[in-house]
Amino acid sequence: MAKLDNIIHQPIRLRIMSALVALDVGEQVDFVYLRKILKLTDGNLGAHLAKLENARYIKIEKTFIARKPRTFINVTGKGRDTFNEHVTALRKIIGKAKK
Amino acid sequence: MDISKREAKDSLNQIETATAQTRKSIASNYDSPLLILWGLIWFTGFILTHFFLPWVWLIWMGLCGIGTAVTLLVGWWQFHTGSPVKTPAAEKIGWRIFWFWTLLFVYMFIWLSILKPRHGIQMNAFMCTAIMFAYVVTGLWSKSFYMLWLGLAVTGFTLIGFYFIPPSYYCLWMAPTAGGALFAMGLYMRLRWR
Repeated sequence: MAKLDNIIHQPIRLRIMSALVALDVGEQVDFVYLRKILKLTDGNLGAHLAKLENARYIKIEKTFIARKPRTFINVTGKGRDTFNEHVTALRKIIGKAKK
Repeated sequence: MDISKREAKDSLNQIETATAQTRKSIASNYDSPLLILWGLIWFTGFILTHFFLPWVWLIWMGLCGIGTAVTLLVGWWQFHTGSPVKTPAAEKIGWRIFWFWTLLFVYMFIWLSILKPRHGIQMNAFMCTAIMFAYVVTGLWSKSFYMLWLGLAVTGFTLIGFYFIPPSYYCLWMAPTAGGALFAMGLYMRLRWR
């Protein structure tokens, strides 16, 4: 049975996960770009990403492109499954309430 | 963990907004510069064709040559300087898109040689609708519905121009409608989807 996830349910983390799940499987998004889309500060995004990484919902990869350091983030299989389960649970709550 | 129906609804709205925003932002990042570029090329091409008809081949070959070169350069630059979204199969997809458009133009010339249009407007309407068909198909494949609607809209403008606008005003009609639609879509994405 689908259940809500405490880590994902926090509003900022929910937005982060929604943005990451919008990408295709295997796609990674740049930290700066994600920060811009979600209109968050460096520190705020970094802190929430750390929580999601600890839960193994996302993977953070640091790399160099054209000699500049870049950080890329992608959602893991576990993260995608948990997120989908969370969404199903939310929909069920609305469905239940309709009865 | 228990939450109310209202909280669940708010969460779902947040998810929908963030998902749509991300998809739009990515589409804007890749497509808006090219739509602006090709919108300007089409606009300039049609205006120049109206006023300098004898030079039509030179005008379009020159403008399309510039457009193709800039498009390839933008693609190369995005791939090598690191676009904000890394796709594992980016190189493969890039080549697939390149070959799709190359083959489309090869086939367009084959069809033109078979159909032998009798006048320039026929040929132009054919090329515009063939390119817009590619937009529609790409839009359906990649779920970029703005491309689907843009393709259908420009096809509609081309058909109106072909069937209802006097031939001497065809180019003046196509410049703001077809060229304008591409440019406006690119600009809208740039300003509103980022």
